Parts: sequence; C-alpha cells; structure tokens
Amino acid sequence: MAKLYVDSDKFGEANASPTVEAFHAAVKDLVRRKLDASGGHWDSFVFDKSYGLLTAEDFAGVERQLLDAGHLFDWSAAISPQERPDIYKPIEGVGDDDMGTFSFEHEDAVTGTQGDLEQRGQGDNVARYPQDCEGIARYIRSPMQVMKYLEEGVPENTIAIIDDSGGTLTAPILEQFKGVICAGGSTRSHLGILTREYGVPCVMNAKISGLKQGDTVRIECTAAPKTAADYQKNVDRTAKVWRVAAAG
Amino acid sequence: MAMPLNYTQLLETNNLIQQNVDESYWLCVTRTVQESKLFPVPSYMMLSYLMAFYRYPSLLRKIESRMSAEELGDRSREMAMKHRAPGVSWGLPNFYLLGREWLINLGVIKPTDAIEDVMYVMDFWKRFQLSLHRNDGHISRAQYGHRGQTLSERQAQVFHSDLYSCEAGDELHEAAHQFMASASQYGFLISCESRISLHNHGPYKLSDTSEMIVRDFMDLAESDFPWLDGVAKGVEYNNITVTMAAKDCHFYLVDDWGSFEAEPEFSAEKLVGVGLYASDNLSEGYMPLGMNSREELIATFKRLDGQVKEAMNNLWRRIAGYSRDQMMDAGAITYFAIIKDLAHIAGVYDVDDWMKVDERAERFRPLLNDEYGRDVLGELVGLLSNPSQKLSDYSMMMHSNAPTRMYTPIPYSVLSGEPYTPTAGPLYPGITNLPEKDDVYTTTRGKMTLAEYNRQSQEFTPSAVAPETRFLCDTWLKYHAGSDQADSLYRITQASSRKLAGKGSTLTRDEVEALRD
Repeated sequence: MAKLYVDSDKFGEANASPTVEAFHAAVKDLVRRKLDASGGHWDSFVFDKSYGLLTAEDFAGVERQLLDAGHLFDWSAAISPQERPDIYKPIEGVGDDDMGTFSFEHEDAVTGTQGDLEQRGQGDNVARYPQDCEGIARYIRSPMQVMKYLEEGVPENTIAIIDDSGGTLTAPILEQFKGVICAGGSTRSHLGILTREYGVPCVMNAKISGLKQGDTVRIECTAAPKTAADYQKNVDRTAKVWRVAAAG
Repeated sequence: MAMPLNYTQLLETNNLIQQNVDESYWLCVTRTVQESKLFPVPSYMMLSYLMAFYRYPSLLRKIESRMSAEELGDRSREMAMKHRAPGVSWGLPNFYLLGREWLINLGVIKPTDAIEDVMYVMDFWKRFQLSLHRNDGHISRAQYGHRGQTLSERQAQVFHSDLYSCEAGDELHEAAHQFMASASQYGFLISCESRISLHNHGPYKLSDTSEMIVRDFMDLAESDFPWLDGVAKGVEYNNITVTMAAKDCHFYLVDDWGSFEAEPEFSAEKLVGVGLYASDNLSEGYMPLGMNSREELIATFKRLDGQVKEAMNNLWRRIAGYSRDQMMDAGAITYFAIIKDLAHIAGVYDVDDWMKVDERAERFRPLLNDEYGRDVLGELVGLLSNPSQKLSDYSMMMHSNAPTRMYTPIPYSVLSGEPYTPTAGPLYPGITNLPEKDDVYTTTRGKMTLAEYNRQSQEFTPSAVAPETRFLCDTWLKYHAGSDQADSLYRITQASSRKLAGKGSTLTRDEVEALRD
C-alpha cells in the first residue's frame, strides 16, 4: 500500500472528534488505494489523475462505513433530517405533535424557588431594560414553525425559546417577539446582535429546565448585560429565567 | 505572474500565512461556533474552502491579467463593495488556506503541493491589502490593533461635514436605527447566516468626545446572487453605507469580521449623527442618498427600510423551500464569492466563475453531513486538533500558548530538492443546484445586463484614482494643501457634498465641524 506524506508525522495525534478521525482515516485509505491503482506517482496523481479517481461515490462510501457500524449523526439544520431521516438522530420539539411534553433540559440550569417565583434557569443578558420581561413561552426550532407564525402572526406576548443563535431562522418574525430565551451562542452571536438592534429583551447561552410550551415566564432583563470582556475574563454574570405560572 | 521560488520569497509567503494564523485563531475563538436550524452552516463553509483552494489562483490570475492587485486596492478605497472587507482582507487568504489545510489532513494533497499557487495567493493578498490600507500604513486591521482607517482626509471630511445630527427619540434617530436593524437582519439572510454582507471601518476622530464609524451593507439588491433574483427586485441600491457619529465612547476594536466594540459600550443613545450613501465600482466615490435635507433623509431611511423588509420576507420564504443541496450551494457560493467584486472592478466577471461549485470541490459534498461538517470545522478553526496543526511541545501559539498552528507553511525543503507541484491546475467546470442567474445587475447607474456591466467597468476609472491623481496621497497633501492640484483632487470628492462642494483642500477638522448643520 502506498505511503502518504502525512503518514509520518512526529507531532500529529488523532483528531478530537471520533467522527472526524473515522472519516479522515477512511479517506486516507481511499487515497492510498487509488494512488496505488494509478501507478504510485504522486505528481501525476495529485492534480490530474486523482480528479477522476477520487469520486463522489467514493466519499459517499466513507459516510456509509459509519452508518453500517450503527452510527446516527447529530443534525443542526432542520432540512438535514427532513431529507435523510435514516442517517440522523430522531427529531424532537420541532412540530406540534410532541410540544405538549417537550422541554429543554440543561444539566447546568439553576433551579429553585424564590418567594412566589420559580427559577427555571439563567442566561447571558444581551441588553439592560427598565423592567423584566414577562410573557408566554413558545418553542421555535424549525422553519415549519416560523412559517406557521409568518402566515398566522405571532401570538401576542410570545417569549420565544430557541436553540439557534443565528439570525436567519426567525428573521421574518423576530420583531414580533416580546422576548427571547436562546439556549446557545453568546451576547455577540447574530441573534444577540439583532435582538439588541430591535430592542427585544433576550438572554443568550441560556441553561433552562422544565419550561413547557404555554408556561408564563419572566426574563430578568434588568440584570447587567454580559460583555465581551466578561467572556474573555470568564466572569460569571447571568440573568435569571423564572416560571411565573405553568401552562393551563 | 510566475512567482520566483527562492528563500526570500518563501520566507515572506510563510510569514503572510502565519499572520493569518494568529489573527484567524483570535477571531474564531472570540466568537461561538455558528450553527443554524435553517442552513447547514459548517458544512457549506467546508465546501466553500475547497472551492477557494481549487479556483482562487486561476480567478485571481484572470483578474490580474486586466488590473493589478495594487490598482484594485486603490480603487477599493473610493467605494464600499464586499470584496474589500471582509472579502480580500480576511476571506481570500483564509478560505484558501483552510481548504489547503483540510485537504492535507485528508491526505489528498501534501504541504509541498501547489506551492506556486500558495505563493501567488498570499502575494496578491499582500499587494491588495497594502494598497487598500495605504492611508493607515498597515497590511491588516490586526497589525493596526484592530482598527481600520481606510479613508483619506478628503473622504473623511465629506462624511464628517454632511452628517445630520440626531438624538435618541427623534425621528431621524429612529429611522436610521430601524433601517440598520432591518438591513443587518436582511444581510444575515442574504449571506446564509454569515455576517459577510455587513462591515465597518474606522474609527475616525471627529472631536475630543466624538468618533465616526462607517457601516457598509452590501449585496442587497438583484445582482450577483441567484437567490435574490425577483425577491429583491424592489431594493434600489446594492451597496449602502451609513456614516455614524457616536459620542462619549471610544471604538477600541473594529475588526475584519465586521465587529466593533466600544468603551463604554456603544448604545443607541450614543448615536448623534448619521449620513447615507451608495457606491460601487461605477460610481465617482460615494453618492449621497436623501442627503439634501433632514426630512428627505428620514424619508429615504424609511423607504429603504421598507424595501429590505419586503425583500427579507420574500427571501425567507424562498429559502425555506430550498433543498439541502440548494442551501449548501447558496452558502458555499456566498463564502467562496466573497471576493467576486474584484472581477467586477476589472470588468471580467463571469457567472460560471463565481456562482458555480467547482467539480473538484463538488466530489467531497457526500462527506458533509451536519455532524462531520460541525466537527471538522470546529477542529480546523477552533480546537486546532488536526494532526497537521500539532507542533513540538516546546511551541507556544499566540493567544493560546498551545503547541498548535492553524495553517501549514510551505516546507523550505523544496529549495533543497524535495519534490513539489506548482499548481492545482486551470479552472474546471462547475455545477449548481440553484436556478440559473437572471441577467440583471443593480448598479449605481441602474439595472443592466452583465455584458453591459463588464463593458462599463472596463471603460470607467474614478477620477480620484486616475493616473494623474492616484499617487497624490495624504503625505503629499500635507505639504501641498491649497495648491491647484490639491484643490482639484479634493473637489472631486466634494462635488456631491452639500457642505463642502468646491471648498478645496485647506480646511481643518475643526473648520469642517463648524460648517455642520
């Protein structure tokens, strides 16, 4: 079998991700075999023969090796498991079917009771407002849910619970939210930037537990915002998320 | 355009690579990994890096066959298109090098492959950047302590003099703020969740208590991207610039990724002045929009806000109906084509060059499911945990002190006989899953076909960079203010200014301030 340049590496170690390690090992094995088959001359292989010898079908075979071993992939874009449900882990909390029981459950959510208020978590406050923000929790995790609200309008007093820190999923309806709880990103993420520009109270990087669709929730957006310097210095500065009343 | 392969050249190339290692690592680790429920972001980013690796050398050589990197940089100071920053400033070297690094770790190429391409891409970057940043004298914003003073004095004076004052709660403040929020959100959607439609430069000091930031919103109208055909028909201007004066804060960071940060933190009530412009490679500098009166400016902000909001809703519905491959194409093209405006300026733009996925890169698409895309991107730009990125345990990387390096230099051993290959080859065909691009391009001279756009681009030279004015820099001006030649240069930029038209080259900043409304 041909030896590749990167097969001798004094300092290199395995990739951190087992998936990346498996994919790269399989591709390198593919390259060795194709190089052998082409006569073993690297100079004529690398930017010439390899273009015809290393094919999309070969690379599809790399993914198939993991699937055949029983692996299911994590998904991030809703379209991915929608088109290929057989290769991704099951989807939850993106439609009406399981919304009655779905909730984010983050291990590091701080929970407890404070007087009449039940703390269900915390997050990084994007911008300070004169009053805390209270409204009805509604999960938004897929384009289908956004399309529904785009067609029907966002119900009044909606506090959107999102795990996408980007600015595109909720682009056409973001202005209509009363508040946002985002279980990801930072105050500098796209969603953080946009909620600040629109004046919509928001906590990013939220760690929450037990919040269900329809619960009345309150965001402590009177808390100090988390700044870039806070992130760099690892300052623990969070705003609380409370449940005021469970969904009726 | 063949680069000499010698020790001096390799030393420089590897230094340019290392400069991008240091800055890119800092940029990446001070942001969170961006994922999206709408777009397969990391996967399309990885595809774009391969497109850059295989195509940038050929496309840059094609562009330079008509216009040098230095002239492109000079022209780019006079207007705001996306290629400038974050395009060439960050995307060009880093997308190319990320593609190279990934392929090295796949065993598909060696560090000694395509070395003439690597040297040329880095050299193009150097020459463009030095020219673009001629006024502040740096090669990058990182070298300037994360600051970007692109403007000459004559440009800064016009932006300064024509600012309309505003304060929190007044109609202009509200209208400007609302437009910038809508344009930012629309920009994220146009660019498939990335921030590369938005950028800023500055700060420019207006007084002891006030600084100006210049914000650019780019590729907003029907122009290069097929996904904007029809849905952005109502957007009047493709590239919009908002000048923004802020009081009582100092912008201590304005980086190549479109972020700015101030101390104390910039907030809406600190916005005390705004201006509005459009520009591209066919305009004589920046064209004022609605700047004849305060009322007209308010109405213009509101009109443009309505335009981008309508386009955003239309675009969102279109993209929500895309297949994953179409989303991958749009995202990968957004990234890869971050420098496409260079081809517009040179008048050699071709849809097949910039809006298609090179077939050599396309082969790798089946690898790019969401999980592998996420993990390999994270290792490549954040963890630096690919084997090629590990160094001797004695090494301490800038910013992390870890024995790692984002990009592999060219081994000097090629000078002592180690075999190498010079280039990845010529341009190969591309594929697309998107609808064919409509032949309509929105410019500052109206909508036109691509053939017409290329023709006008080839014929036009902005007066401020014409052969007789191109090298009249701010250092020359310092010693020649008030001369006929200096006045005539300043009057080019002042021609469309409501406050400075015809005033020439002798005004100081305080005199400009005194002329304001």
